[in-house]
Amino acid sequence: MEFKRFLVNKLILFFMLSTMITVAVSLIGSAYDSGARFGYGTLLTPIKYAALCLLPTLVTWSKRELSAKELLIRKALMLLLLEAVILFIAFTSSVIDTESVRVVLDIAGSVLVIFVLANLFLWMKDSAEAKELNRDLETYQKHYE
Amino acid sequence: MDVTIKQIGAGEQEQVLICCREVTEEVQEIAFFVRSRQGRLSGVRDEKQYEIPVSELYYIESVDGQTFLYTKAQVYESSYRIYELESQLRAKHFLRVSKSTLLNLMKIRSIQPALNGRFTAVLHSGEKVIISRTYVKALKAALKGE
Repeated sequence: MEFKRFLVNKLILFFMLSTMITVAVSLIGSAYDSGARFGYGTLLTPIKYAALCLLPTLVTWSKRELSAKELLIRKALMLLLLEAVILFIAFTSSVIDTESVRVVLDIAGSVLVIFVLANLFLWMKDSAEAKELNRDLETYQKHYE
Repeated sequence: MDVTIKQIGAGEQEQVLICCREVTEEVQEIAFFVRSRQGRLSGVRDEKQYEIPVSELYYIESVDGQTFLYTKAQVYESSYRIYELESQLRAKHFLRVSKSTLLNLMKIRSIQPALNGRFTAVLHSGEKVIISRTYVKALKAALKGE
């Protein structure tokens, strides 16, 4: 059950990543090569990237409950692996100009921004849930006091 | 095992007496049931046995197969398994919040988001207990009285 839930969360993350990568690619593309034309195959690029980016997230899986510190370390490791995966894709791609340091830095920066935003959105969702839980907790405790 | 109920006078001390040849698991379960109905649990600390009011327990944790009862300032060892306590203490506001922890909902000061869809219950004692995301749905239902 726990692993099933883990996979469902990864699926949600996959769709979030696909959307954000599409936005990032279009912004970077517009800035550096706005006149470029692509075939239909390019539409799959954000999906492929999102799928590849999902692989490093598996390092957060654990059978036992991780402490906040352990989880933070694993998240940092995940970010490093993500950067490695994306830069690997960039350096093996024929369309990305990896000879330009600025392009490489922009790609690395985009990964960092997407990572921070994705975690921020999840944190905001959890915060809203925590507020609701606290309201219900107050009602519960008043009822049984 | 025969069950005998004897009515006593107003001035006499009420008690449950179990007469058995051997203190088996079944006998312990009966004793546990009677104690928990009275709102008390047995716990061992410094090789001495104590009867702890359930309402004073903050949480119960299983570590390496051993069960520990946590009050505001003390920790007691219990001979019961966490799943045994879970079913007995549900009516006493205890809820499982992770594989190894039963939490007294009346002792939570606030709930904060933790990483990865988990939550942290901050207790009135200042201690923090992780609420695993697997048990969040059950927590929501319990708090809503479902």
